[in-house]
Amino acid sequence: MSEVQRGEVLFEMKNIEKIFSHVHALDHVNFDVRKGEVHALLGENGAGKSTLIKILTGVYPKDGGQIFMEGKEVEINDRDDALALGIAVIFQELSLIPSLTVYQNIMLGKEEGKFGFVNARKEKKDIQDLIDRYGFPVTADATVETLSVAQKQMVEILKALSTNARIMIMDEPTASLSQRESEILYKIINQLRDQGVSIIYISHRLEEVFNLSDRITVLRDGKNAGEVEKEDIVPSEIVKMMIGKELSESTASRSLHESDTEVELEVKNLSRLGYYEDVSFKVHKGEVLVLTGLVGAGRTEVLRSIYGADPYDSGEIIFEGKVIKPRISDAVAKGFGLIPEDRRTQGFSPLLTVTRNVATTNYDKLAHGGFVNKKDEDELGKKAVEIVDLRPANPNVVVGNLSGGNQQKAVLGKWLTRDLKVILIDEPTVGIDIGAKDEIYEFVEDLAKQGVAVILVSSDIAEVLRVAHRIIVMREGKIIKEFKDGVATQEDILLASSGFTGDEKEVAHE
Amino acid sequence: MKQETVRRIISFSLLVILIVVLSVTTDNFLTADNLINLFRECSVVGILAVGVTFVIISSGNNLSSGAMLGTVAMVIARLYHSTALSVTGILLCALLVAICLGALNGFCVGVLQIPDYIATLSVQMICQGLTYVLAIRTPGGQITNEIINNATITGFGGKFLGTPIYRVTVAFFGLALLGQIFLRHTKIGTHIYAMGSNRKSAEYSGISFVRVKMLVFILSAVCSFIAALYLTGRNATTDVASGTTLSFQAISGAVIGGASFAGGRGDMIGTVIGVLFLQILKNGLLKYGLPPNWQLLLSGLVIVGMIVFDAAYNEYMEKRTTKAAAIAREKKGAKS
Repeated sequence: MSEVQRGEVLFEMKNIEKIFSHVHALDHVNFDVRKGEVHALLGENGAGKSTLIKILTGVYPKDGGQIFMEGKEVEINDRDDALALGIAVIFQELSLIPSLTVYQNIMLGKEEGKFGFVNARKEKKDIQDLIDRYGFPVTADATVETLSVAQKQMVEILKALSTNARIMIMDEPTASLSQRESEILYKIINQLRDQGVSIIYISHRLEEVFNLSDRITVLRDGKNAGEVEKEDIVPSEIVKMMIGKELSESTASRSLHESDTEVELEVKNLSRLGYYEDVSFKVHKGEVLVLTGLVGAGRTEVLRSIYGADPYDSGEIIFEGKVIKPRISDAVAKGFGLIPEDRRTQGFSPLLTVTRNVATTNYDKLAHGGFVNKKDEDELGKKAVEIVDLRPANPNVVVGNLSGGNQQKAVLGKWLTRDLKVILIDEPTVGIDIGAKDEIYEFVEDLAKQGVAVILVSSDIAEVLRVAHRIIVMREGKIIKEFKDGVATQEDILLASSGFTGDEKEVAHE
Repeated sequence: MKQETVRRIISFSLLVILIVVLSVTTDNFLTADNLINLFRECSVVGILAVGVTFVIISSGNNLSSGAMLGTVAMVIARLYHSTALSVTGILLCALLVAICLGALNGFCVGVLQIPDYIATLSVQMICQGLTYVLAIRTPGGQITNEIINNATITGFGGKFLGTPIYRVTVAFFGLALLGQIFLRHTKIGTHIYAMGSNRKSAEYSGISFVRVKMLVFILSAVCSFIAALYLTGRNATTDVASGTTLSFQAISGAVIGGASFAGGRGDMIGTVIGVLFLQILKNGLLKYGLPPNWQLLLSGLVIVGMIVFDAAYNEYMEKRTTKAAAIAREKKGAKS
């Protein structure tokens, strides 16, 4: 077979299908990569980007469709198959060994030398040559733990280059880089492209995607939503593709909360270095305030500081008119509740029964002189099962054995059995099926109706519009937009989260 | 600065301070006799510590090294007492037993995926049980410690080629040197560091978890065998309790020297420093007329200090990274 020329199709995925327990995660998706191009893959959370990448790298088997490399059909069953085809993923710093040097990391598993000994001098020289060829600001014998995040990423790229990777997958590569470091990365990407390496680029930062990409493929709900060449990129059109036409016009469906009710909690100029900065907002009794934005915008960190689970550097938290210094040990007694992001590790004890889990937040009422009345505890468990409509309706089942939705309901049960004043809810419906999602939204609405102040963090825009009375968009630790009057559309929120605060024409567009 | 460099500076400074203080405040510390004796006393623990260091670097621990020493010593005594095997045969059998016990550790951790602490604690009990089963008894059933009257075996307790230095000390330093070369200059050595530091990444690079764990535990078992030889040679007998308290001393030496329980860090130079530190501490306490068991208390405190340092260092590095990112972000904000 003749060598593929630059600009010709190198790799192709046709009619790819993937089904997870009856859900069509990928539905006849087509995707191809040309030699020496930057091809961006866009889509909202759950659109199927990561599933496609996992099929392409052999993490998941495909349920249908074909994959071609240089026109020949191939099977990718595991990571080694992908590597052999020249497909490499640029992981974040996670995949490097901090205590080894740059060259040791790059040569790991394929060391050179005789009789089991490593020829360190040769390895060091070869890797330094490779580094010099690309002009990266790192040295071959630096220890990885002393490098910056950006340098570690370069080592990852070098590692891929040393395996003769032809296709590199970069998933949110600038998420933890500064502007200057990002610019170095863009330069490296352009350099790689000029050398004929193809790059599959995934990023939530639309601006950089529009600047870097030769081509953009948009996925929505597991299907191809569109493919755009560089010269045809129009930001608002692409955002519409990501959201879907019908939905892009939909607005917050709920009437706005009349903000004449009492303020329950106020946050004033709250800052934590490196996480969030100068965050101020008020939550009224009976109001659902949603903090949205991209992952890493600092929303979860704000919640955790309010609960006292993490510290903050400056600012004030005012609860019922009084400045408080939140402490996790008395948050529960004050009437605060937290439904954490990762329920498996922070929300419940998987080996304990529903009753026992619910009891953990209620021992102030259950315990008498240090002893727990078993009958009261069982009573409480039954009550909780009833309130949250748990299935199976059995308070003695171990929470770890419940389905995702019912686990979340058990976590809700911990708090709905108490008199709450403020509840902090973090991404409540991640990994939960649609039916259970609606039930959870109803509980959130009920809580608000009872006068509880709700602060909810969510990245799911449909969810945000469904439950919010008021929406605050955060980006890189700061509040950048507040939607008070219920006219926010999905498009507005997505553009604000991705960094388009004003006129889209300002986007640099070569 | 690299975490390992800082740790090396700290442990080395502690050792130097201890030596200087003892040299100045006591008049019989810096004598040839005392030093030779001191080196002899710490060498059996040192040999175990060399083996345990491999395991700790691979992110794990070996609680069974001392008990395994006891079992191997008992195998030697039993075979000497009850069979007509030659010394070579006896030692080969003992080595084989050690390798099997090491492989058992490696199997439990590598193949069965039992956490190191639990697996090696169980193997430690198995070793102690075996030692009792093999123990030589009187016709009445009482355990006795028979003398091993063989010049080759007792020779291990002697001095090295006409020098005043004991063979066991030469073995300790020799093994440490070999271990250091192995760790730093061979492919498998690099793989041990990689596996200990980041298992996923090492496996993605084609390194086998089972093989690394098998290897480090067998190396540690071979060290237990070598330590058993010298201990038995010195005492010309063995006891059912031989070695059982040495596991923790070996681990202490390695950790004080810089091996991190989190894996991926440490080396034999550090372990030698740690083992010497512990022995000199004990020696110094004796010279001051303090009970030698205080060594336990003090070394416990030093280990806690070292682990606190490791955690603080990691937190500091993390803070520095987030701070740098925050400052970079600040600048970015100012620019736009």
